[in-house]
Amino acid sequence: MLVYGLINSAVLALMALGFNLTFGISGVANFAYGAIYVVSGFLTWTLINHLHLPYAISAIITISAIGIFGGLVYKFIIRRIRGLVISEVIATFGISIVILEFLRYVGFIGFKYSLPVFIKGSVEIFDAYVDIQRLLIIAFGIFLITGLYLFTHHTKIGLAFRGIAQEEHTSLSLGINPDRIAGWSMGMGSALGALAAIVILPLGTITVDSGYDVLISALSVCIVGGLGSTFGVIIASFIIGYAQTITATYVSAHWTMIVSLVAILIILAIKPSGLLGHQKELEERV
Amino acid sequence: MRVCRNITPSGVIKEAVKYSKGVIMKRMVLCLFFATVFFLSVYTASAQQYITLGIPTSLKLIEGYEGHKAAQLAVEEINAKGGVKVGNEKRLLKIEALDIRDGEPGVPTSEALLGIEKLILDKKIYATVVGNFRSEALLAAMDIFSKYKVINIGTIAMTPKFQEKVLSDPEKYKYSFRNCLDSRYLAGYMQNMMKHVSSQFGYNKVFIATQDVLWASATGSMMEKWFKDNGWTVAGFDKYPVGATDFSAGLMKAKSAGVQVILPIFDMPTSGILVKQWKSMKIPALMAGFISPLMGTKAWKTFGEDIDGLMNVVFEIGYFPVKAHPPSVKFSEAYMKRWKEDIQSGHGAAPAYDTVYVLVNAIEKAGALDPDKVVKAIQETDMVGVVGRIKFDKGHQLIFGDDPKKAAVGAVFQWQKGAMAVVWPDSIASAKIVKPSWMK
Repeated sequence: MLVYGLINSAVLALMALGFNLTFGISGVANFAYGAIYVVSGFLTWTLINHLHLPYAISAIITISAIGIFGGLVYKFIIRRIRGLVISEVIATFGISIVILEFLRYVGFIGFKYSLPVFIKGSVEIFDAYVDIQRLLIIAFGIFLITGLYLFTHHTKIGLAFRGIAQEEHTSLSLGINPDRIAGWSMGMGSALGALAAIVILPLGTITVDSGYDVLISALSVCIVGGLGSTFGVIIASFIIGYAQTITATYVSAHWTMIVSLVAILIILAIKPSGLLGHQKELEERV
Repeated sequence: MRVCRNITPSGVIKEAVKYSKGVIMKRMVLCLFFATVFFLSVYTASAQQYITLGIPTSLKLIEGYEGHKAAQLAVEEINAKGGVKVGNEKRLLKIEALDIRDGEPGVPTSEALLGIEKLILDKKIYATVVGNFRSEALLAAMDIFSKYKVINIGTIAMTPKFQEKVLSDPEKYKYSFRNCLDSRYLAGYMQNMMKHVSSQFGYNKVFIATQDVLWASATGSMMEKWFKDNGWTVAGFDKYPVGATDFSAGLMKAKSAGVQVILPIFDMPTSGILVKQWKSMKIPALMAGFISPLMGTKAWKTFGEDIDGLMNVVFEIGYFPVKAHPPSVKFSEAYMKRWKEDIQSGHGAAPAYDTVYVLVNAIEKAGALDPDKVVKAIQETDMVGVVGRIKFDKGHQLIFGDDPKKAAVGAVFQWQKGAMAVVWPDSIASAKIVKPSWMK
């Protein structure tokens, strides 16, 4: 239970990081995130199976293409409505529906779509066999969180990210273009979603409908952790991940579906800004 | 009368040319008019020759998608032989398919019913094949079929309430038939599979894992009762929400309880993960049940040897070649030749192909398109199809058994080194059950 709880937490953290990054920097709740996750899986599958490209090359192309796509979506659609929260949600959710229905329309139906695991086999840990791909998810989770920390603290763009996240107008006076940085954050958030898809999807199959599930998972982790807070996301992933595993082990797998929803309800009742969130924290105090 | 105002020689020539051009134009317009009338009348006449079959279903879900193609294949075969004999004339068939999306989440039943009525009223369909995906939609649609006297032979939705509704008012609901498995027969096949496992290995301890949807949990509950009534120990019964991607908790419970068999009942895409985890966690138990994504040949390409040893219940034979029943071989080869791919769903496609032939045979037997006469002929159907022998019971449900010479047949196959080896029933079995390598 300890091992699989950890893996479940890492999966949730990976799914939520991209969504959280975009929201934390630009304030845009990217409801197309689940669709971006799914389209990344299908794109990688297509590159491997139809263009016969090596897995690593396909993954790199997918992450880059999806990152660029995210940036373009911001430039041509979101930039015009940024700050209008309802419009942002409607626009991104609309994009999500267009992407998912397009995938369905062009024939991505059935169960044959799956990505290969990075390394086959399993190892025994604490009397339980765990497949290596699941262990790699934990490794990728750690790598990604460390990478994000280094990026936002030690690179020029990363510092600009933090600048507009903290105070957009002041950062403008320091020569940081908030629109450009918000576009970058949307691109990077999408690329992180693509990376998560490439690491997680080898565990099962790629289906159009899973886009909505991914969005709900990412949203619940971000709401519990506090929208925009990376460490909040990590803590929330552990709370929800272990709560789901404990529920499945000692109660019933049937109830795991409501764990994240109960967590959202509790956190909204106690601390609406989330565990480590700063959005509206001041209003809550007042 | 035309008056030539310009009487110079060149003027006369110009006038003559203009006059002849006008005549030519008039003639061309007349010709075009008559040609249009001719083509329209020919088109209308030929359109009247068609018998239109409607396919209102979820075309983007695998059972609907493949069912449509299988029915199309049957229609093309019949048309290639000149069509359907209705009395003294031959009529061609054509298909009008409509994606009513009734199997997709969030689509209300009322929308699916509107789609069916649209097909009936706009496309003037004579009958529907394949039909509703979701049982709720099927039960509601039966009233529409009765209202318009449209024959419906469904091949996807599986509720036993279908027969109950037909029997509740046989005259009203006589237009509805089901040419595929229902959930009672499915439970029966699973019970036979467990008897077979028990007789071969002496196993009697099971763990049930189902998807948390009505049909799967109901089938799981039926099986739980059967296990308890037949001396088995049920060590656990877990229901997984749709979209679940981690089954480790249930598998660990099964392992620690020392079960010998795990019975999975799933049709969600992520259920393939259960089998992958079963292998990677080396759970020492047979995995025998129903996992929809692992039904077709592409499952092996997708998951490879991770699914080796899994036993799956096939709802209707015919979607993959069963040597002991040659029509299934012929059908799968014809499907492959026509559509350049294998059938991947263990439910719906083969019966959809048979359904067109059932309908055509009934029309020819009735000698007319009168729905009442054709319904009577369908009730009396007794033919060999891809799924076995086709006969309907009083509730208009296809009768299933364990010998394709006597009834329609489902089966149990086991993935053995990339092959789908039939292990039950004995009448068509080609292999014995093999335990996974880590159980030896």
